[in-house]
Amino acid sequence: MFEWLFDPRYYPLILQGLTLTVEITLFGVFLGLLLGTLLAIGDIYGGKLVRGIIAVYVEFFRGSPLFVQLLIAVYTVPAILNLQIDHYLLAFLVFGLNSAGYQKGYMKGSMQTILDDQMAAGTSVGMSKVQTLRHVILPQAYRIVIPSWTNEFCSLTKSTSTLAFIGLLDLTGAGLSIKGATMQILPVWIVIGAIYLVWITGFSKIMDIIYEKKKIPGVELIMQ
Amino acid sequence: MTEYVMEARHVYKTYRIKGTKKEDTKIVEAVKDVSLQIRKGDIKLIFGPSGSGKSTFLRCMAMLDIPDKGEIYLGDQCLTKPGVDLNKARARIGFVFQHIYLFRHLTALGNVELALRKVLKLPKEEARKRALAALEEVKVTECINKYPSQLSGGQAQRVGIARAIVRSPDIILLDEPTSALDPELTGEVIDTLRDLAKEGTTMLIVSHEMPFARDVAEEMIFYDEGHIIETGPPSLFFNAPNTDRAKQFMTRIINRTTRE
Repeated sequence: MFEWLFDPRYYPLILQGLTLTVEITLFGVFLGLLLGTLLAIGDIYGGKLVRGIIAVYVEFFRGSPLFVQLLIAVYTVPAILNLQIDHYLLAFLVFGLNSAGYQKGYMKGSMQTILDDQMAAGTSVGMSKVQTLRHVILPQAYRIVIPSWTNEFCSLTKSTSTLAFIGLLDLTGAGLSIKGATMQILPVWIVIGAIYLVWITGFSKIMDIIYEKKKIPGVELIMQ
Repeated sequence: MTEYVMEARHVYKTYRIKGTKKEDTKIVEAVKDVSLQIRKGDIKLIFGPSGSGKSTFLRCMAMLDIPDKGEIYLGDQCLTKPGVDLNKARARIGFVFQHIYLFRHLTALGNVELALRKVLKLPKEEARKRALAALEEVKVTECINKYPSQLSGGQAQRVGIARAIVRSPDIILLDEPTSALDPELTGEVIDTLRDLAKEGTTMLIVSHEMPFARDVAEEMIFYDEGHIIETGPPSLFFNAPNTDRAKQFMTRIINRTTRE
């Protein structure tokens, strides 16, 4: 049943799959954070039009399955633009854009708990709004948002398993290949599932440690 | 050259309080045609019933709230004209908040230093030196590396004052600096304000600390329903105010203080 586990021929496959899964998750969460921050700021300070566009953006990426978004990106966008676009690149972008849809909400929520009084304090000492955002609001908001960020990381990691179905070799894709070669269905998925579990649990623990380390007395999420 | 450090000319400000329903929205006329002049070294104290618009007026002076009408002058510069660099102007005004509003992710020292680094663009060592001097002035040297949530209310407000004075502003505006503190902690903040007064700091203070007012204020301003009702030296208010409203208010306040 598990003899294939000791066959070194499969190791590069698993490693390659895991690498893509990890890369795309980390990139997605990172791009999502950058973009999500901008969307949150736009949603707080923007006019009606900006807020409307952001609302449509968020509803699209939260309201439709990530897999459907991937299919659209990979199979229709290049055709419409009449361009050859690397599937990896498109997948990376979809994960970032999708995550931004969620992270906008987390960022806006954590910014709003501190915005009014801290903005008044920042401008009262002569800083501009942008300076206050940068030096006062965001450093606090990022600390508050870390736990939501960990959740986002878990959910995004699991979503990467859809990559196998657009022909990319992620961890699930590696599982599919090994299953095809060994015809061991349950053992393969048990092992693949365990790798996901170890990676997600391990990384979440690291994030928890970062949260505790970065936590500042008085700057934390108030749970209602 | 104007002889005033700061001046308000016929300032108006209304704001809305949104209710749960649309009909519940209230329009509050917090500042109605208020004019005020402050000379260098002046200490003026605004007092009056809560909800009368004193704080809104003070925020208008600092351009933290933009007046609907009227002018605010900082020296010769009119701050209410369009195109004025308000950030530069605010850097010359110190503001102390009722609820303190320290930057929660920075230590006491970091709070005082931030504007020196980011607004005045001072080099690190000089900013540190000035911040430490300001913290020494308000007598919080023992907890400069603590975060705001670890400070007592009195310590926090003194850090708030240090943050306001460290840039050597032309004037300091204080919005009820002691009213959010426990009664036993107001003394240390008042002592700090007395020290500032001794040094000739120009101050406009919203406060109901009557003994403090009597000792340091050159002028007291009774403010109610968006207007200045009566102004005069403390002796006027403590003996015989001209208006009935001021009389009633003083009676109430003095009774309250003696009963405590």
